[in-house]
Amino acid sequence: MKNWVVKLFTLTLLVLGACTEHGQLKKELKDAYGQPRKDESVPTASCKADDQCGDGAYCGLDGTCTRDCRPVPAQGEEQTCDACNTKGYCEDKGAGGWAAAILDWPGTKWIFLILVLVMPLASILTWMERRQSAMMQDRLGPNRANIGPIKLKGILHFVADAVKMIFKEDFIPANVHKGLYALAPILAIAPVFIAFAIIPFGPTIYPHALTQTLDPVALAQSPQSFAFADAIRMQMFQVDFGLIFYFAVLTLANYGGTIAGWASYNKWALLGGLRSSSQMMSYEVAMGLALMGAFLVAGSLEPGYIVSHGAVASMSASNPLNWLWLWQPVGLVLFFTAAIAETKRAPFDIPEGEPEIIGYFVEYSGLRWGLFFLAEFIEIVFVSAVVATVFLGGWQVPFLDADGFRIGGWVDQATGVSMGGSVLKLPHAIVVALQFGAFGLKVVLLCWFQLMIRWTLPRFRADQLMNLGWKLLLPLALANIMVTALIKLIFMGS
Amino acid sequence: MGSSHHDTHEDQGAGPVIISVSDRHPRSKTIQVVRPESADTTFLAATAKGLGITLKHFAKNLFLPLKKLSGRAKAGAPDPERFKNDIETVQYPEERVIYPERFRGLHRLTKREDDSVRCVACMCCPTVCPANCITIVPEESTDSSIEKRPAIFEIDELRCIACGLCVEACPCDAIRMDTGMHAHPVEDRADAIETLESMLARGIRSVAQQGGQGANWRETAVLPGPEKHTTPKNGPPGSR
Repeated sequence: MKNWVVKLFTLTLLVLGACTEHGQLKKELKDAYGQPRKDESVPTASCKADDQCGDGAYCGLDGTCTRDCRPVPAQGEEQTCDACNTKGYCEDKGAGGWAAAILDWPGTKWIFLILVLVMPLASILTWMERRQSAMMQDRLGPNRANIGPIKLKGILHFVADAVKMIFKEDFIPANVHKGLYALAPILAIAPVFIAFAIIPFGPTIYPHALTQTLDPVALAQSPQSFAFADAIRMQMFQVDFGLIFYFAVLTLANYGGTIAGWASYNKWALLGGLRSSSQMMSYEVAMGLALMGAFLVAGSLEPGYIVSHGAVASMSASNPLNWLWLWQPVGLVLFFTAAIAETKRAPFDIPEGEPEIIGYFVEYSGLRWGLFFLAEFIEIVFVSAVVATVFLGGWQVPFLDADGFRIGGWVDQATGVSMGGSVLKLPHAIVVALQFGAFGLKVVLLCWFQLMIRWTLPRFRADQLMNLGWKLLLPLALANIMVTALIKLIFMGS
Repeated sequence: MGSSHHDTHEDQGAGPVIISVSDRHPRSKTIQVVRPESADTTFLAATAKGLGITLKHFAKNLFLPLKKLSGRAKAGAPDPERFKNDIETVQYPEERVIYPERFRGLHRLTKREDDSVRCVACMCCPTVCPANCITIVPEESTDSSIEKRPAIFEIDELRCIACGLCVEACPCDAIRMDTGMHAHPVEDRADAIETLESMLARGIRSVAQQGGQGANWRETAVLPGPEKHTTPKNGPPGSR
């Protein structure tokens, strides 16, 4: 086939996909927040606070319950407005409104997550891996790259690597399929970036309440009041099928490897690409089924819901005993094993197979090769983020509720808010900072653990790999689902 | 590592379990073969054990200070390096290992008291050299008590195999390999040839005398090199 046909076809697919995605997102947002409210029939009643009105209505400035869009309280006067925003306020065209809109835009969050959290971590992982493996093998590892006297124990090696790869010749061997050859690295790295959309990487931030202690009861009862307006949810894509979305998207990353092997016109690269697909098929099933147990326990496939609710309703979600590692230990081990296999690194580096076939990227050099490599490291970060989110409480700090550290106490079943106990009250800003830090720490520690595994275990033989995937992980995952379902049926009655 | 190593040694000591021995051929035995059990194929126990080992190394090398390169404890004395980590890396340009005293490095030629070359061009070293890398062209010496001296004395360091036979063969303590230096990297093969001048420039004055007289060379020698060698008190006399 002619190159341009393939390019046109791919481009059309990409554009179509993006459009569908955008439409889906708009629909989701609409469902989540409802239509912008215009005047509807609301019983007029005198009121002093929003919680006296209920049913989504709020207390207007004239002291009656209403469903009109509210004027922005900061301006303090009645005004008529043409359009309400998604949260029931008049659309604020001022600087504050624009700032809130930009901050709440998924693209901003994506840029923040990828550029501030993921890319630096993935880059530093390239150094961390070499340094850590050296430490485990009684060596020193790379500690030389410097800018003048600044050495930082060699962290700058990732800068040196990047500069090297950018300035290397972009060599395209003869006979390769040029279109697919160029497409493959992008196909390898893009799905990982997209999959990050479902990760809740921090708590919901309420900008107007940053300096004071958050009142979770008021939040649960009247989320529409002004103190909780302009909330920024630290998750780009909040959908009920979140984890399914992750499986669907991350599986596409394997096309990168397979297409790279096919397009390279090299038998070793082709072997690597085929191994990559076969390994993916062996582990994707077990990986999905391993998470089904977690789904049964938590009752949702939405990672944000799992983090903010935990396993059971009778305990606070910030209680480590309420995180899923305790309720799904088998699921955790199975999922982590299968997820490491998905990253295509030792002990599951059959597709790369350094000693024998070099792998599907054997014909790549420079930055294209670097993209494959970076995709691998970003997958490590992503797997860590998923394990942290689903099994280790995500951004929850142990015993830190929305209003501060709480020992003892109970959970109010009506609102789902932790009450009582001895509380150390903290401002919302500090709580948010602690929870961000907790998520980062969990992800870094899980990355470290993956590197430990990678440098401890030798590579599995192909038959051992398939045995492990089909004869051990898959039956165990099925058994895990059965046992979890039985326990849930017997003890929880639903 | 303790328990795992212990087990390994026990296994090796006990040998395979013998089920029966053949009557006709006593060396033919039936032994019990240990097959991996199904529990082993989950790799979980092995993974945990391996992680323990690597974690121990990682933690020790991360948190404990680097050990000194020359750290060698005397037998029986408390080991000062006991609380240092296990890292063996030598960061070469800044750190160098101390070579053994008998390390054979680049050649040098020794000098007499008047700084003339000590070599008498007896041709012993090119004769014994197995690599055929020494070229000597003798000439008449201006000193009436000395018969010959080398006009040209060249050693091709690319061919030299550092066997040290030339030093052994020399009757005058004129050529030595105790500089502690490596052959330098060169861009041209011709640059790797050591000349009379270059080897004399590295040379020291030798006061050795024929028949074992004169001062101990180890006490007079000033050895170059990155690290100073310790001078043993009871070294053998260097004269031959």
